[in-house]
Amino acid sequence: MSAAPVKLSHVTKRFAKDVIAVDDISLEVEPGSLVTLLGPSGCGKTTTLRMVAGLERASSGQIFIDGQDVTQLPANLRDVTMVFQSYALFPHMNVFENVAYGLQVARRPADEIKKRAHEALALVGLEGLENRSTRALSGGQQQRVALARALVMQPKVLLFDEPLSNLDAKLRKRVREEIRDLQKSLGITSIYVTHDQEEALAISDVIVVINKGRIEQQGSPLELYTQPANHFVADFIGSASFLPGQYDGKTVSLANYQFDHEQTMSPGKVTVMVRPEAVMLASEGLKAQVLSASYLGSITDFLFQTELGEVMASIPGEGKMPLSKGDETHLRFKPAGIHLLKPSK
Amino acid sequence: MALSSSFSTVRSLRFSGAWLAAALALLGFLALPFGRPGRDFFTIDASLRPWALNSIWLWLVFLAALAALIISFLPLKITLRGNLLAIAGAIGLFSGIGWLMVTTTPFGLGAMVSLLALVIVTGFGLSESGRIQSDAFVSSSILFVGLFILLFILFPVFTVLKTAFWVGGQFSLGKIMNTLKSPLFMFLENPYTERRELLIISLFAIAGTLLGLLWALWKKQGFWRLALITGVAALLGFLLGLMLFAKGALPTSLFLAVIVSLFSTLFGLSFAILGQRTRLKMVSQSLNAISLLPIITPPFILAFAMIFLFGRRGLITYSVFGLSTNALFGIIGVSLAQILAFTPVAYLVIRGSVSALDPALEEASQTLGANRWYLFRTITWPLLRPGLANAFLLTMIESFADFGNPLILGGDRSYLATEVFSAFSARFDPNEAAVYGLVLLTIVLIVFSLQRVWLGESSFVTVTGKPSSGNLSPLPAWLEAILVLIFAFWTLIVLALYFSIIYGSFVQLWGINNTLTFKHYQDFMNAGWPVFWYTARTAALSAIPAALLGFLIAYLVVRQQFWGRMFIEFGSMLSFAIPGTVMGVAYILAFNTGPWLLTSSMAIILIAFVFRNMPVAIRGGVAGLAQIDPSLEEASTTLRASSSITLRRILVPLLIIPLIGGLIFAFVRAMTAISQVIFLVSPGNMLATVLLLGWVEQGQLGRAAAMATVLIVSMLLVVLALTLFTRNRSVSSVGVSS
Repeated sequence: MSAAPVKLSHVTKRFAKDVIAVDDISLEVEPGSLVTLLGPSGCGKTTTLRMVAGLERASSGQIFIDGQDVTQLPANLRDVTMVFQSYALFPHMNVFENVAYGLQVARRPADEIKKRAHEALALVGLEGLENRSTRALSGGQQQRVALARALVMQPKVLLFDEPLSNLDAKLRKRVREEIRDLQKSLGITSIYVTHDQEEALAISDVIVVINKGRIEQQGSPLELYTQPANHFVADFIGSASFLPGQYDGKTVSLANYQFDHEQTMSPGKVTVMVRPEAVMLASEGLKAQVLSASYLGSITDFLFQTELGEVMASIPGEGKMPLSKGDETHLRFKPAGIHLLKPSK
Repeated sequence: MALSSSFSTVRSLRFSGAWLAAALALLGFLALPFGRPGRDFFTIDASLRPWALNSIWLWLVFLAALAALIISFLPLKITLRGNLLAIAGAIGLFSGIGWLMVTTTPFGLGAMVSLLALVIVTGFGLSESGRIQSDAFVSSSILFVGLFILLFILFPVFTVLKTAFWVGGQFSLGKIMNTLKSPLFMFLENPYTERRELLIISLFAIAGTLLGLLWALWKKQGFWRLALITGVAALLGFLLGLMLFAKGALPTSLFLAVIVSLFSTLFGLSFAILGQRTRLKMVSQSLNAISLLPIITPPFILAFAMIFLFGRRGLITYSVFGLSTNALFGIIGVSLAQILAFTPVAYLVIRGSVSALDPALEEASQTLGANRWYLFRTITWPLLRPGLANAFLLTMIESFADFGNPLILGGDRSYLATEVFSAFSARFDPNEAAVYGLVLLTIVLIVFSLQRVWLGESSFVTVTGKPSSGNLSPLPAWLEAILVLIFAFWTLIVLALYFSIIYGSFVQLWGINNTLTFKHYQDFMNAGWPVFWYTARTAALSAIPAALLGFLIAYLVVRQQFWGRMFIEFGSMLSFAIPGTVMGVAYILAFNTGPWLLTSSMAIILIAFVFRNMPVAIRGGVAGLAQIDPSLEEASTTLRASSSITLRRILVPLLIIPLIGGLIFAFVRAMTAISQVIFLVSPGNMLATVLLLGWVEQGQLGRAAAMATVLIVSMLLVVLALTLFTRNRSVSSVGVSS
């Protein structure tokens, strides 16, 4: 199996004179890994993906696939296939014809086409449905046909453009596991676009967070969750509260609550990111009053008002509501869910 | 889990595909003569071979093609190679075309082959350099379409302009002044009448000014708007006076256009309302049938039939009322014929906006306590207004451009469209014809831009949603009765006209000797059938490139981004807007001498048909493409298909129904066209409609009726076959992705 690295070097895409969709993005995708481009809609992630596919040409910068500069190469000459958001199955062809299309265009011999199309369909678990019309398939099955059609070409790079957004929530979880398993076992370099942070955390080797055409941060899911580079990433991946504090290189001070924390960070004013699951109720610490509480069974979601701002908390309830609206308490934070950011303006 | 061993799908980019085109350019250049001595393409004249001509320009063409061939195989960076190829191709093209233009030698086979091949070379270059961000097929198509629009639409129009201003080899406004002053064009003061026409017209202008001023003051407009409104009102008053009291082509055509579009819009509106709300099944069904009529009938057939009914020996005027009158021949006859012919056009336009009226709006209004009149005034009318204005302007353009009806029924008055023709072929004055063409063109373009400016956005107000499930309130009984009566009367006349053509083809001599005979069909078989068959073949031959070119343009305009897209959109629209007579005189002026000599051949008729009828296919293609998810094409592209494969394997199968529709309509329109091709026919290249019109003019009504019957019946069959074909395959289920 050919696993190829992908490299983007200072890639920019301008649409009109002053509409910059993608602004100076550089990134490297290791061979065989799955990299997710994550960001809010309109952030430029799909445009970046389409530039790798060749469906858009970069206004400046270079794109390398397997070491070859493909920046000016048209899409049909790149060794890349794509799974589309709308699946884009050809409505006038049945399942087999859809999967065989790319091989037919490449003028492979008929018996090879047949063999490989069957293999690809077996891979996605659709053997026996070759002669079905694509319109007679469920959403999940259509998704798999699209995947088989892309896989059968044995591309150097496989691209996914929000492939799960047309599926319902339950199916989405299952299909994303399948895609991840298949990608791992075939070892195909993949780039995956989504706006769903949970999906990104679940399937990626590396997540690239994009906002307004620029990369905010890239790293493993764990890195991004525990050590977000800035407010945007911390807020976009998971949820978090942000409190203004002081750091002296060893101890964090939040009003009169102090705790030890180790992080390479210059002393002075900081913004303290607090994940909801890091919040504990205590008899001393940061003074807080309950603004709202929603009992969710295994946990209770709280919103606290403190003198430094609002704090979200998910607290294991052990079968009962520990506090209700208006109650006063103190909060302490577990070190694992704390990260210091440069103070925001 | 495993897939069979990999293979490399990246095609070799070590050399450019442009080499084949470059080789073809070289071959065409070396093997075929670059020019030709006369009209015939296949006369090989040795003195017109490139080496005999020995011009530096021609050697540049040769060198460019040779350079392109070598560059194609050079191991360069792809963008650099693309730029070099584009430059080589462009140099070859410009020097080749330049030589033709400078020496005014008619282009020969060699020029055709090598220049077209050089276009492809340039296309490869633009694609590889990334200047057109698509593959060579698309960029070559863009270049071809652009060049065709330049050569076959803009260049002829430009020639009309040039001929109007450029008389006897020098620039002069004399021809324009003379023509505009001539009584044929406009005749203000008639010395033989008591009336002081000039004074009356001036009074109209003054009255218009005053009314406009009062209205603007009453509406409390600012100074500039006040001035504008007053100016427009003065102009309208002047035009009204002109229409009513002056004579000549301009006032007559103006008067005709206003009358015809008023009545056609009115009838169209009543039919549209009737069609939507009547409870009589039969009425709504026959409405669909009448909308077919103008498609299958040459525009002047009704005028011809009116001679049978209302002429000197007319069934109604003579046999019923005992009148032998010439009243039909003149503005009355022409306006009647045009109203009958253009009402279906207005109906189709208005039907769109009537059916877009959401019943829920009316219901909502009624629940708010609005009465019928209030409802009409505040809801229905504002929503209908754009559709009505659109129909009005469209029928106005049709009336200005119409050629056949005034030619047959015009009587002693002159009309703009016919003056173009008579100036050219009766007075042998191409400059005068060009001036008339220019006037007609200007008027039509003014009306078109009015339509764009006023209705550009407002004409699709409620088309956002599907017609909802609400019930339409039925018409009041008295109104429905009136509308049904009007419709019945209209239908009766149209049926009588069509019937009279069929009947007229079977009687000895209409109105004088009513014995039945097949004589006219024998005459038709002898004198008409070869022409009819030739026309059918030519029309069919033209329909294929018209439909394909139209679809290609639709694809390029809708799906591709490139510099000059607006030009292609505008240029191809233009060929639809320009009146046929203007285009006809433009073609004969542009292609009669010089490098692009094409007249007196089947080629010029084919080209005229292709560029005249291609817009129908463009519209079908644009509508069809709007139904198809662009990611289908992108999926095909990422599966290694070039755009030509994507077109062939994805878009053509999905758009086969509109494509065949475009093909059929291009054929039918070619079969029934008259105004442009009447300039272009030549001995051996006669067309059925032109022959038919000639017979009518000579008074050979019997055999003309026979030919018209054959024409109408065969067009009807073709259109019916299309309807049956498309009904069996539901259009809506094809091509719409999830």
